[in-house]
Amino acid sequence: MIEFREVEKRYPNGFLALNQINLQIEQAEFVAIIGLSGAGKSTLLRCINKMHDITGGSLSVDSVDVQQLKGKGIRKLRRNIGMIFQSFNLVTRVSVLKNVLVSFVPNMPFWRKMLGIFTKEEKLKALMALDQVGILDKAYVRVDQLSGGQQQRVALARTLAQNPSIILADEPVASLDPVTAKQVMEDFKRINQEFNMTIIINIHHVELALAYATRVIGVRSGEIVFDGRACEVDEEILSYIYNNSEGRGANNHAMEAAIPEKNGIA
Amino acid sequence: MQWKLLSQKKMVLPNDKEVLEKRSIMPLMLLILLLLTFLSIRITGFSIEVIVNRISQFFVIIQQMIPPNWTYLSKLWQPLFDTIKMSLFGSVLGAICALPISMLAATNITKNRWITMSCKFILSLLRTLPTLIVALIATFIFGLGTMAGTIAIFLFTIAYVGKLLYEQIESVDMKAYEAMCSMGLTTIQAFRYAIMPQILPNYLSTSLFCFEGNVRYASILGYVGAGGIGLLLNESLGWRSYANVGMILLMLVCTVFIIETTSEYLRKKLM
Amino acid sequence: MNAIDKQLQLQPNRRMSYIMTIFILSILFVWSVSTIHFENVSLNGTKIAKNILVGLLNPDWSLIFNVSTGGIPYLLIETMAIAFLGTIVGALLAIPLAFLSASNIMPKPIAFVVRLLLIIIRTIPAIVYGLMFIRVTGPGPFAGVLTMSLTSIGMLSKLYVDVIEDLDKSVLESMEAIGCTLMEKIRFGIWPQLTALLLSIVIYRFDMNLRDATVLGLVGAGGIGAPLIFAMNAYKWSEVGAILLGLILLILVVEFVSNRIRTKLVRG
Repeated sequence: MIEFREVEKRYPNGFLALNQINLQIEQAEFVAIIGLSGAGKSTLLRCINKMHDITGGSLSVDSVDVQQLKGKGIRKLRRNIGMIFQSFNLVTRVSVLKNVLVSFVPNMPFWRKMLGIFTKEEKLKALMALDQVGILDKAYVRVDQLSGGQQQRVALARTLAQNPSIILADEPVASLDPVTAKQVMEDFKRINQEFNMTIIINIHHVELALAYATRVIGVRSGEIVFDGRACEVDEEILSYIYNNSEGRGANNHAMEAAIPEKNGIA
Repeated sequence: MQWKLLSQKKMVLPNDKEVLEKRSIMPLMLLILLLLTFLSIRITGFSIEVIVNRISQFFVIIQQMIPPNWTYLSKLWQPLFDTIKMSLFGSVLGAICALPISMLAATNITKNRWITMSCKFILSLLRTLPTLIVALIATFIFGLGTMAGTIAIFLFTIAYVGKLLYEQIESVDMKAYEAMCSMGLTTIQAFRYAIMPQILPNYLSTSLFCFEGNVRYASILGYVGAGGIGLLLNESLGWRSYANVGMILLMLVCTVFIIETTSEYLRKKLM
Repeated sequence: MNAIDKQLQLQPNRRMSYIMTIFILSILFVWSVSTIHFENVSLNGTKIAKNILVGLLNPDWSLIFNVSTGGIPYLLIETMAIAFLGTIVGALLAIPLAFLSASNIMPKPIAFVVRLLLIIIRTIPAIVYGLMFIRVTGPGPFAGVLTMSLTSIGMLSKLYVDVIEDLDKSVLESMEAIGCTLMEKIRFGIWPQLTALLLSIVIYRFDMNLRDATVLGLVGAGGIGAPLIFAMNAYKWSEVGAILLGLILLILVVEFVSNRIRTKLVRG
């Protein structure tokens, strides 16, 4: 269970990205977070696995206070939380299988890590993960020869191989065409039902969000303005979530500038 | 290809699906690399011990070069200008001659396969021989002096610019060229108006780049008697007057730096 | 004045800059014509040219098939060994220098000094290094190896820096989310991206070093250059022909192979 209590996130430049967030997400829910770009969707998601630090309130994942974690603790938390990105974030120069195998790396002994040797068991697990997203036949193809949809599936397989209990997806279908986007969403839904994984997804396409998610959260200006079942969402609620409040535009840029700082190597 | 010959291992998934695993060629390549390194060490007599014990000799020479002999400077201008002239003349003439040759070597302009093949062969043959060896041969034919150096640079420029140019011509958009041919222009006219505009910036930039490199090469051509500053370099090295060598090298570094900076600026403007 | 005339006058006036460029170029060109002189070209020259051609067409076959250390096969292998080992040593030495000269990693003054040093190293002709290293190791291929490694450093470290700056850093974000440490990120996120590109650069440099290594023999630093100059000075044209043929063949083959490997590495 993920629990936000009065969570606040303020960027070093003073921009308030999240304000008074109170939220409970149960295991095996399929949650879609919708809202304008710059509303704080991405920040909300990244606080869960401590890719971003929160500056106020408390956030717990499975009764572990995320805020208290350091170094090893953070990495242990992240092992249990998979993450999918808009730009796939794969090593494009190596094979699909090798990309999936990366998810086993943190648990390997030092010498195998250095030499890059994987056991047969790990390879089988990785192949199973690829099979689950339907690209088993591409296992030995280089990633840069795959289409966008296939690449996103590789990323999904990499996350599945990690066997997490939660999957966070940050705009997973934003750079895919509508048909592929639908297929990837189907994959998410199947994984959610088959493996009882919690799936939290940031998404621009409202129709896709309503069609696949069981719960929808609307974020506006860093605050939750709607939280309910997908079938409850109507025109009025949508226009409320997407209502462009004045004076917000200038701040959007400030926040977009702040995000890359957090994404560096360290 | 070659790694198809390596046996493929069959992986059976728990749900009875089968995948053929490709063997990594990394270990094999590493082994070959190590073997070649070992062989090379044997052949060349490479030894860390000698380096550790005697590398100080290298720095002794460098110490003797500093400070350079400034009085030697006055004698350097003429040979330095000779070097620049050699590379300039050779580069300009070479770049001009490379144009018709690369036209003949481009398969989309010249339809006769024999002509294109032989032109390409000549270009790659010219590129094979190091400039210094061409200069050496040239000194036997044209006598000692700047002439031999100029010829060597000229030939290298043709080969270098020619190759890059025909590759460029072959990748050019042919629609305009065909349109002009259909308007009744001759091959050369159509080339001038349809293809030249597309390749010109790149052609000039390549030529400039080649000129940059040529200045560097020209500085050593004197070593085999082909004129320029290399002649003095050879002399000073022979007499072990390292302060003079230091002066020559300082001059060279400055000249090359100035020419490179200028040409880099010009190339950026061209692009 | 009608619209057509107006449009004609609107034509951009670039003639001035064209004329200036051509003017400067012609002056420089005329200035450099003095390097051409034919007075030294004696009848002897044409005779020698003919002899070289004859030598190329009738090479000394016994030298080509001589498998002892004086034969061409061994000399070519020695030349390759010099280039190969020199490239490897240079490739290793260039790694720390690449990091030192990358201005986005190092403080500006250090990066600047290292870059200056690299320019100086790059400009000094290989032959000078060869002569200096002969003082260290004595004449022979060992001096050649040291020379090759030193001359490779400049170009290699510059190209390394370009590759490092072009790395795709997005994968690091996802590895961070998996819970990887910095070392794991480097090993599985950065290393796989680098290997192919760096290898391709090093092979390219090997190709260049092979050409340079043929020249080192002129100063006694091993390889096929020395026998070539001896044969020429002794007017043994069939030997010269044999050596040149071997050299041309070797360089053509190596160039072909290295081009194939590099396209394979980069395109996959």
